[in-house]
Amino acid sequence: MLSKSIDICCKSEPNYRMLVENSCDIMFQMDTEGSFTFVSSAWKTVLGHDLGDVVGHSLREFVHQEDISRCESSMLAAIRSGSAQEVTARVQHVGGSWRWHAVRGAPYVDGDGVVTLIGIAHDVTEQLRIEEVMAQTEKMIMVSGLAAGMAHEINNPLGAILQHAQNIERRVSADIPANLKAAAEVGVDLALVHAYLQRRGVFDFIGHIRSAGMRASDIISNMLKFSRRSDAGAEKVDLPALLDRVLELAGTDYDMKKKYNYSRIVLQREYATDLPPVQIVVAELEQVLMNILKNAAQAIATTALERQPIITVRTRLLDGMVAIEVEDNGPGMDEATRLRVFEPFFTTKEVGVGTGLGLSVAYAIVTKGHRGVIEVRSRPGVGSCFTVKLPPQGERNGKL
Amino acid sequence: MENCDIAVLLVDDDEMIRECVTAYLEDEGFSVHVAASGEVGLEMMLSLRPAVCISDLRLTGMSGEEFIVKAHALNPTTGFLLHTGMIYSLSDKLYAIGMTDEDVLLKPIHDLARLVSKVRNSAAAGGPL
Repeated sequence: MLSKSIDICCKSEPNYRMLVENSCDIMFQMDTEGSFTFVSSAWKTVLGHDLGDVVGHSLREFVHQEDISRCESSMLAAIRSGSAQEVTARVQHVGGSWRWHAVRGAPYVDGDGVVTLIGIAHDVTEQLRIEEVMAQTEKMIMVSGLAAGMAHEINNPLGAILQHAQNIERRVSADIPANLKAAAEVGVDLALVHAYLQRRGVFDFIGHIRSAGMRASDIISNMLKFSRRSDAGAEKVDLPALLDRVLELAGTDYDMKKKYNYSRIVLQREYATDLPPVQIVVAELEQVLMNILKNAAQAIATTALERQPIITVRTRLLDGMVAIEVEDNGPGMDEATRLRVFEPFFTTKEVGVGTGLGLSVAYAIVTKGHRGVIEVRSRPGVGSCFTVKLPPQGERNGKL
Repeated sequence: MENCDIAVLLVDDDEMIRECVTAYLEDEGFSVHVAASGEVGLEMMLSLRPAVCISDLRLTGMSGEEFIVKAHALNPTTGFLLHTGMIYSLSDKLYAIGMTDEDVLLKPIHDLARLVSKVRNSAAAGGPL
């Protein structure tokens, strides 16, 4: 009976080895100090290192600093409890990027009583990215609906403010016969009434009501773009020409020129030459890129950087979509900010500097108007990169 | 055509909008009539036969779109303008009665002089009363 079991075990070992070596997930074994004693060949495929550079090395060399204590706590818990533990952590790819892994490890005690940890790590980076995009989309749909609904409700009272201000101006004008008639009926000289209002600055106040109303109205009209679904005016364009035009246009923008010192930023262009065409609403995409550029320039201008500021505009094919990347070497942003940049009214700028609508309008234009994707990745102290991905022409599903 | 010869029907369920637009148009000499709903507006169409009708889109009761289609059937010479707070693309039904994108005015209109020129154009296009 025993010899039969050993026989099966010996026969099955090559099978197990084959399973381990062919698995897309990384299998590993490590000592209780956290040094790898074995990793399967999937490590090379997923993370790029030669296996010899991993075995004998500590997990601390590969796991993100912020995740190390979590990993070590799980290891300890596994050893103490004798049961499998799970943890999700970032592991560095040989190229420097971070890959999220869901790791499950269990303690193993060999015949000599030596304790090791045996585990399996599954790359969940893409899954987490999709979950983040979905959560972001859901949040934006909710907030955008609210913003658009509110915008509509505000337009009527705003109209009354603007138009009644205009009516007040006109009701003291001598050009309207009914005014002269009413003035005569109550025994006042309309010219004197006019002169009095002028002298006491009342017309200026009315002018201010109108200009404040118009400013509010511009904000509202941006908010209404959230509910916009039309793709009217979409055309096939030459992306490099459009990008060059936006980069040039940005140089003539008042804020960019005067406040953000745009001319001292080095602009790098890395355009792919063999991209499929995209069909876009030119003015809208210009607005998207302008908002991203302004955001980058503003971030650079308000931070003391000890390096030459650079904005790189890049086009390439990414995930089957035409990608436009705007990368800066500015201050970058923390994760909490990054997750909220596309929310309406979210701003890190001072009151009055930004309305917090620029990037949310960009989000609405790209995702609703163009069936595209807009994402941002960022590293504090290193810079940010906004990516706008647009479907190649021919993949748009009719009217949006 | 003098403004005083032009009868305008304004359909809007917001009293503030009815008041301020009426005040401006009356100062310009137009003969302005108001309705707070599409239903009331339709009742006024036959007796009034306005040269121009300015209608809100989101009304209490029937929608502005439904009102315009029905009002046009009652009086095909009336010119229609849509005054709305929503970003809106004309429906095929409204294109079919001859409206164009130029006939949609987004609220809030910053300068009502723009509305006046639209009303005059619309009245001129609608033919003699």
